[in-house]
Amino acid sequence: MYPFGKGISRFVPFLLLLIPLALYVLFYFGPSVMTVIYSFTNITNLPGSGMKFIGLDNYHDVFFSGNSGERVDSIIRTLYFMFIVTVVQNGIALLVAVIINQKLKGDYFFRAVFFLPVVLGVAVVALVWSMMFDPLSGPVNQLYQALFGYKDMFFGSFSHAFGYIIFVQIWMYMGYSMLIFLAGLQSVPKELYEAGYIDGTTKWQSFRHITFSLIAPSFTVNMLLSIIGAMSTFDIILATTDGRFNTRTMAYDVYKETFRGSLEMGLPSALSVVQFLIILVFVIVAVKQMRKREVEY
Amino acid sequence: MKQSKSAKVLSYAVVALLLVLYIVPLLLVFNVSFKSFTEYLLNPIGLVSDIQWNNYKDAWTQGNFSNYFLNSLLYTGVATVLTLIVSLFGAFPVARNYVRWSGLIYLFFLLSQFLPNPMVAQFKLMLAMKQEFGFVGYDTRLGYILLKTSGTGIVFMMFTGYIKSISRELDEAAGMDGCGYSRYLFQIVLPLMKPVIATGVILTAIGIWNDFVGPVMYLPSPANYPITFGLKEFRGQYGNNWPMLACGIMIVSTPLIVLYTFIQKYIVDGALAGAVKA
Repeated sequence: MYPFGKGISRFVPFLLLLIPLALYVLFYFGPSVMTVIYSFTNITNLPGSGMKFIGLDNYHDVFFSGNSGERVDSIIRTLYFMFIVTVVQNGIALLVAVIINQKLKGDYFFRAVFFLPVVLGVAVVALVWSMMFDPLSGPVNQLYQALFGYKDMFFGSFSHAFGYIIFVQIWMYMGYSMLIFLAGLQSVPKELYEAGYIDGTTKWQSFRHITFSLIAPSFTVNMLLSIIGAMSTFDIILATTDGRFNTRTMAYDVYKETFRGSLEMGLPSALSVVQFLIILVFVIVAVKQMRKREVEY
Repeated sequence: MKQSKSAKVLSYAVVALLLVLYIVPLLLVFNVSFKSFTEYLLNPIGLVSDIQWNNYKDAWTQGNFSNYFLNSLLYTGVATVLTLIVSLFGAFPVARNYVRWSGLIYLFFLLSQFLPNPMVAQFKLMLAMKQEFGFVGYDTRLGYILLKTSGTGIVFMMFTGYIKSISRELDEAAGMDGCGYSRYLFQIVLPLMKPVIATGVILTAIGIWNDFVGPVMYLPSPANYPITFGLKEFRGQYGNNWPMLACGIMIVSTPLIVLYTFIQKYIVDGALAGAVKA
């Protein structure tokens, strides 16, 4: 029962709840729904112009119009980005988490250092690596030359720029995934390892069957975060190459066509919906796979 | 279980290798920031020989960083406080069933994490608001702050969970004594939620302070730039003058690193809470 008065004052909680509700509907839920609707129209960004429903034309244009080759390239690049980031980032993160979890001296320091890039933010991280990767005077190029006698253009290379962006993305968020794994590892009861030890399991067996099964929930969280993150973020791209040198992804395309492209809003809307559907498919597949592995104990 | 000695050595080797990859770039930036441009061109990597303290002064004044810092503080401070308050307005009645359809509202708010990209229509909305009202919407401080104020995100979910652990009898006792709803929220509930508020503040503040895409989209006037956008502009201004840019990086990241070393534990725990609850 509501204990704070009767009559009119009964409505106070509802009135206050209207504030977050209104912000959410106005800035996120509404625009999200409108974007889906726009994707079926010929809406433009010219003030006062009307809009007409044109069915699936925008979706057709995403894949089969004059310049859709680039857009399809972006979609393929996005999927590539997602796979590499998800696999490599979580692989390294799991390895580091397992290592740190065996009570190394200085584990808190290691944790803190690996998480630092998230605290520093994209703008700083991108600039730091732009300096490291400067083609003329950057230390990495000097290293390349000393080791292999070869120089790279890094963020200015048509064939390599995207690879370096993937590297920066993983460098930045590896620590985050590691923390999530570490939390999972710390919740595994020690007795299980002792029981396994008595039964004569090898190191690998105990990792494969005890650790790996019991941290399945953190695996699920990490997979979802990397899939959704890789599919929808483009801030590192924006801050390093700004989409040049074959580094555009779907999320970047939506941004580019909304803010700096033509006045047509239908096409980027359709692209957003395609992006959403791809995320949805991968999330459902990942969750299904992961749920199978989660065990009760 | 006993660890073999070689496994231990291998573990330290892997971690050491990674530490190099994480710390060396920052040390190099620190080193470069003290070099003159000529020294940098002649010897980009070696230890600085002639320390140029003036670099920092020049970068600070020419980069207009004081202005950017104030903007970032304003956006982060106001939007974080507002986010906490509106999250409380949402979380408390939902957790307590004090409004109709609480369960439905909770699910509707949860949906915010899984919506299709709202960018296109959001942009149109911001433009329309600017045209209609002038003081809010595209390229206004208020517009950006409202956009960043959200009562439906991770903070809302953390709050809802935490409020359920606060005894309902407290509500009844306070109500019996004639305490009003909003007074109860601010004077009784809020102080009880200190631990989860600390986490919420940190998560929200890091997110807004480091927001890069938002300002690039919605704050195109230099007077409104926060520090992230400022750093991007600084890059455009100085191109390959890396000693200057390194100063910019140090100016932006030093306060963060200092703060981080003091509240590291909370930040790490906060990030975890956010990820696991999400």
